[in-house]
Amino acid sequence: MAKIYYAEANRFNEFVNELKKDFRVFAPFKKDKPASEEEDYSLAPLTGEYSGLFNPYRVVEPLKSFFTATREEVARYFNPASVTDDSAPSVILGVKNCAISALKVQDFVFLEGIEVDPLYRLRRENTILISSDCTAFKKVCFCLAVDVLPYPTQGFDLSLSPLTDGYLVESGSRKGDELIEKYRRYFNSARETQIEGRQSKREKFIEGYKRQLLIQNIPPKDSLQRLMRQGYNLDTWQQFMLTCVECGGCNLICDTCHCFLLADNKAGRQNKRLKLWDSCQYEGFSRVAGGANPLKTRTKRLRNRFMKKFDFFIDNLGMPACCGCGRCIEVCPGKIDLREVLKDLAAKLAPKA
Amino acid sequence: MKNIYQPFEATVEEVIVETPAIKTFVLRPKENFEFRTGQFIELTVPGIGEAPFTPSSDPAVKDMFELTVMKAGRVTALAHNLLKGASVGVRGPYGKGYPLEKFFAKDVLVIGGGVGLAPLRSLLFTLFGEIDRYHKVILRYGCRTPQDMVYKDALRGWAKKDKVDVLTTVDVGDKNYKGHVGVVTTILDKLPLDIKKAVAVVCGPPIMMKFTTLKLLDLGFGPSDIYLSMEKNMSCGLGKCGHCRIGSYYACKDGPVFDYGVLKDIPEVWD
Repeated sequence: MAKIYYAEANRFNEFVNELKKDFRVFAPFKKDKPASEEEDYSLAPLTGEYSGLFNPYRVVEPLKSFFTATREEVARYFNPASVTDDSAPSVILGVKNCAISALKVQDFVFLEGIEVDPLYRLRRENTILISSDCTAFKKVCFCLAVDVLPYPTQGFDLSLSPLTDGYLVESGSRKGDELIEKYRRYFNSARETQIEGRQSKREKFIEGYKRQLLIQNIPPKDSLQRLMRQGYNLDTWQQFMLTCVECGGCNLICDTCHCFLLADNKAGRQNKRLKLWDSCQYEGFSRVAGGANPLKTRTKRLRNRFMKKFDFFIDNLGMPACCGCGRCIEVCPGKIDLREVLKDLAAKLAPKA
Repeated sequence: MKNIYQPFEATVEEVIVETPAIKTFVLRPKENFEFRTGQFIELTVPGIGEAPFTPSSDPAVKDMFELTVMKAGRVTALAHNLLKGASVGVRGPYGKGYPLEKFFAKDVLVIGGGVGLAPLRSLLFTLFGEIDRYHKVILRYGCRTPQDMVYKDALRGWAKKDKVDVLTTVDVGDKNYKGHVGVVTTILDKLPLDIKKAVAVVCGPPIMMKFTTLKLLDLGFGPSDIYLSMEKNMSCGLGKCGHCRIGSYYACKDGPVFDYGVLKDIPEVWD
């Protein structure tokens, strides 16, 4: 049975202000200069009073940036220092379901497999995610096309659904339960009619969003792995590569991309190891000593990004490493649109009439 | 919690010059360290960086292990400057190693190219140490010139062993060289083995691996009886950093030794 509560908007704001006592709270704010005519939202540490600003869709930065850093020291040798993390327990507001879905990929990489990444785990355990339903979508949004809903159903600690004067607040974890229990005075139990209201709001939003997506004709999720395998030798890769400037933006802004580089340096007598986000669009990504490079051309590197997302991860995790957030589309100076690449493959592989 | 990026310290006990471009480093780890033949480690040249190597020594030797390193890139060039007594870092062992149980009672054909004999030397030590488990060991080794041949003394010694057959070749000879000349695939005909009861283990540069595999398939080896050491940019060693992907596998955690049956349908396998 889902644990769903109701909080009036001003009571919820007070609750967030209370959280500042125990946590570093990150909240969405509206950016002054959005990259397009659409409004953009970004996350920043909450310093003053919480305004209650609700972001209708995802923020600009990927959620992964809270759990892995673009550049961080991960070891000092041979003067072993224990792994420490300077980040205080944090609360992140404004998280959307695309980010939560993408976090499954990051968790798979850094928490599972043969070893656990200790810093990642520490930060994950130290962070409370307060997600919320999308109430609008960006032009680049296509989460539904990869079967990611515009509202979370799991993977959050608390999740907000805006109603007219407040929020339905669902707890999705023990951490969420504990928060509600501690601050129970801000929350009422949700009424049945409110829960029904949430459901109809969600359905109505999906209906409008679907209409927008249908005309885009994005290949269905179930077909993506087949497109990768059968489309491996198509000219699509070469065609879309032409405007790639190898900036790596698509990988760095992607909430599922996880590749990193280990690099060592020396400061005085101290040897340090750094871990940096890497991009498979960079020429040296797969180069080995002696110069051999399996991903020598931009064509191969562009294809690599798609094979990793839609073939490797479907095989290894049972889901594509794409949450439909569209960040890679927004960021690309070469205007390479992931949706268009998938559509091109599908069109070229479609049975001729 | 264990820091997976932290190397432990090892001391260089000895440096053996194999060829002008290849050195073997005898390392004494300061922590307990064991590996299975075919597994690899990440070697840290302090303050410089890491590179992956498969130990070339006998895994049965516990207090020391050896790495045979060709000067090929940034880290290896600086590794070549290491002297006796120097400190290096080690992470690992990583990967799966050779599936020895699948070689039992069989003819084991070991084919090396250049410095690719390094991991195979570790395998050979293991095979020789329990030779009764195998029917026969056949080594075929090729390198560019007589000067580039590694483990010259050892090769002569192995050739004299029972149940072991050794043949070497060079791509280009010189005036003192009296052996076989030609790439390694030219010494794979008339193998003294029963292909139906044999496995082949190949390690060398990518081009040699490709043509050796094609040759072995021609000779009648089944794809799953051919074991390849895949050279990829293995950085973390843990299946996390993403650099060494081959199809739906990572060379570091699913390999670096793969049977060709697993790889044959991956289009980029020889890239």
